[in-house]
Amino acid sequence: MNRAAAHLLTRLYPRAWRERYGAEFEALLEDRPGGFLTAVRTGVNVLWSALHEHIFPTRGGKMNQPAHSFGAVMKQPSAFLPVAMSLTALAMVLGDIALNGVVHQADEGTVAHLWQLLMGLQLPVLVFFAIKWLPRAPRQSLYVLALQAGAALASMAPVFFLNL
Amino acid sequence: MGHFSDPPLLVLASLASGPKHGHAMIEDIAGICGTRLGPGTLYGAIGRLEQQGWIEPLPPEERRQPYQITGEGLRVLRAKLTTLQQFTKAGLGRLEAL
Repeated sequence: MNRAAAHLLTRLYPRAWRERYGAEFEALLEDRPGGFLTAVRTGVNVLWSALHEHIFPTRGGKMNQPAHSFGAVMKQPSAFLPVAMSLTALAMVLGDIALNGVVHQADEGTVAHLWQLLMGLQLPVLVFFAIKWLPRAPRQSLYVLALQAGAALASMAPVFFLNL
Repeated sequence: MGHFSDPPLLVLASLASGPKHGHAMIEDIAGICGTRLGPGTLYGAIGRLEQQGWIEPLPPEERRQPYQITGEGLRVLRAKLTTLQQFTKAGLGRLEAL
């Protein structure tokens, strides 16, 4: 992987983490073999780990969190699954654009169907989360809902702006 | 079922044969059990193991950072592997009884 891409991926992590592991992590990324599939796999892996580090920090975070902290609420499958589904959908769209360019087709392809499936299936999970967690931890749940909405909007943005 | 994947345990097992940096750990773990850890997964495990005091960094070699397992890490690894061994033994015993 080239130095610029490695640096960009490392920047996804929180500052406290980068101060401790940033240099060696970048060196490890630069050691990764080339190839499009390896690069995509590495990108998704780093994206997911960086998100995890933001939510459950190993550096600069509180080790003993109260039961209903943002981190504790975010640990619930119904909280992180919609975010993961949106990010997967976004990665699929960007991967498709990177491979085939912006193509307008009358018939929807496999990626479009998977995108619709991922975005549609997260709705009941999201509703379940709101019903279960809003009464218990309103503030933290609103942050989680905002994160879920942000991830969903990020996934929808290329579809709408590029008229895919 | 996929490959066995408990990243912290895999990292501890890899470091049991001597200090290694990230890339060497990925290759060693792939050789042990066929699981190729992603860089994010590897450093997620390294961060948590270091926080627990089960591994520690050695002086860096250029930009690469080697790690070694600590005495406490060895104790934890031995305990976890013993539990796994008992589990495997019991599971295989039940299969033989079928």
